[in-house]
Amino acid sequence: MIARLRKYLPGGRWAVIAPPYFWMLLFFAVPFLIALKISFSSIVIAMPPYTPLTEWVGDTLQLKLNLKNYLFLLRDPLYVNAYLSSLKIALISTLLCLLVGYPIAYAIARLPAASRNTALMLVVLPSWTSFLIRIYAWIGILKNNGLLNNFLIWLGVIDEPLKILHTPVAVYIGIVYAYLPFMILPLYTNLVKHDHRLIEAAYDLGCRPWQAFLRITLPLSRAGIIAGSMLVMIPAVGEFVIPELMGGADTLMIGRQLWVEFFNNRDWPVASAVAIVMLVLLIVPMMIFHHYQSKELEGRLA
Amino acid sequence: MAATASSVAAANGVAKSDAPIREDYVRIDDLTKEYDGFRAVDDVSLSIRKGEIFALLGASGCGKSTLLRCLAGFEKPTYGKIELDGVSIVEQAAYDRPINMMFQSYALFPHMTVEQNIGFGLKMAGLARDRVAARVEEMLTLVQMNRFAKRKPHQLSGGQQQRVALARSLALSPKLLLLDEPMGALDKKLRSQMQLELVGIIERLGVTCVMVTHDQEEAMTMATRIAIMDAGKIRQVGTPDEIYEQPASRFVAQFIGSVNLLEGTIEDDEKDHVTIRSDVLEQPIHVGHGVTGFEGQAVAYALRPEKIKIEKDEPAQPHNKVRGLIEDIAYFGTHSVYHVRLQTGKKLLVHFMNAKRWASERFTWNDTVWLSWGDNAGVVLTS
Repeated sequence: MIARLRKYLPGGRWAVIAPPYFWMLLFFAVPFLIALKISFSSIVIAMPPYTPLTEWVGDTLQLKLNLKNYLFLLRDPLYVNAYLSSLKIALISTLLCLLVGYPIAYAIARLPAASRNTALMLVVLPSWTSFLIRIYAWIGILKNNGLLNNFLIWLGVIDEPLKILHTPVAVYIGIVYAYLPFMILPLYTNLVKHDHRLIEAAYDLGCRPWQAFLRITLPLSRAGIIAGSMLVMIPAVGEFVIPELMGGADTLMIGRQLWVEFFNNRDWPVASAVAIVMLVLLIVPMMIFHHYQSKELEGRLA
Repeated sequence: MAATASSVAAANGVAKSDAPIREDYVRIDDLTKEYDGFRAVDDVSLSIRKGEIFALLGASGCGKSTLLRCLAGFEKPTYGKIELDGVSIVEQAAYDRPINMMFQSYALFPHMTVEQNIGFGLKMAGLARDRVAARVEEMLTLVQMNRFAKRKPHQLSGGQQQRVALARSLALSPKLLLLDEPMGALDKKLRSQMQLELVGIIERLGVTCVMVTHDQEEAMTMATRIAIMDAGKIRQVGTPDEIYEQPASRFVAQFIGSVNLLEGTIEDDEKDHVTIRSDVLEQPIHVGHGVTGFEGQAVAYALRPEKIKIEKDEPAQPHNKVRGLIEDIAYFGTHSVYHVRLQTGKKLLVHFMNAKRWASERFTWNDTVWLSWGDNAGVVLTS
């Protein structure tokens, strides 16, 4: 009897699997559904500042889906441009992170095993200070009478300070700086596992060192490149703090628009729609990533 | 020492090449490789003939792999010369040397198919696409892997991976082929089959080959000549039967196969025979030929276990016989190994071929037996 009952009761397996699912449900699925719900409602001046989706009229339960918010996003070029501009900035930042991060990850992976952890530590160490403080430090470096300009003027390279802060260049510097560790770590994890004999085999078959890199190391690190790029690009699309503090008034990013809608215009439905569209935009590259990753895993297991 | 190497049908299963032999196709002179003061390869000189399969045999850490890597160009010798077909190659980078290597556990490129792996070197050499394809096809036929051309390495078995690795290293028609522990990644059954197959392919192409192995059976099966390495030095070079039947030192005698070493001194040094007095035998050992030594010199008499005859009754011969007690028996099917303790306490290993069914039942534990050997059964070692 008890044995039969036990079959229907959750066992130890569940205790292990359940917490992450519960976590995802509580902190991803539920907030997402709330935001989705709000995005289909209309703005009202009340508390909460949106209309309910369902209404009892007599004996019927009416469900009203207001698509105006989404249509508004589509029709207003400001939002379309903000999305495109966010994607562009995120893509270019990812590419820059890859260009800067790959050599660093490669160099760390080639270090003697004893010094690798120290080098990785140095990569991660800056993140131990507050993100905001580091961004303010960059402002201090880049502003017109900041460290960089003063130094260049002192060197005599330039006569007038370069305008870097509050330009797109500053946004790229900020994003690349902030997300570089997320590129380096997965790349390092991949590169450190490479079998050096493959490179020797390539030399043996007539490859010069740079050819061996292009034909062996680079293709074999593809999974690391994809993982690092996703980790940089996905948060970079929705980045708010860096464009807000370091970008100019014309730096259009969707994170800033979201802030404006939510806090300045108090338009929760439109803000929710902005967030949902952004999520969809981010899910597509994530699915591509997942697809490649599972393909690679299958390949290895076969 | 002038002991005649009794030419026992060699363990060497390889027919020697009929091609004109060039004594120093590969010439290594005074080659030394040091790492932080440690000499991995210590003043090695070797000549390798064209078309032969030359094995570097030694325990791990003896320097054989370092020597191979010096040949491949992955290590730069501290000093010394390497010539290939009369051309010095020490200054050449690995990618410029006309040498290819089959790596230990193969180092196949995991992201390329079998044909891409085999064609890689050809593509790097700048061959036109159709010529690459033709050569790859030829190589696939050579190793009988045509059916697997589109597979990735991880979809192949160990033996198939080895064929691909061999095809890849032969595709560029190297002047010298290097094999690094060629059978290391295969299980025992497959190993003996692939050994002969590999030798067959290498001999058919007539390519000169240097292989590194720690497995003496493998070296003896595959190689035309073997160099025994220890602590960075070459201890002996010879054909497999020379190494086995005529070891030059105690080290080589003990390294190859199993051996009974009887320490003693030369008692009677005649032109046509020698006697050796050993503490472990009551009788002096009678050697049926002269040796280059002197009376009173400390020597070792190396006697292979299969050269000793074991029987119940005392043999008729006047010399080279001793009585003992069977202390241990190891039964291997084809033969049995008896650990026989002599009255002096010395233990001798004796192999007994189980040529007849149930022959091993003749001797059992604690039997008193007579051991005997011929006048030319052993080798007198001075070093």
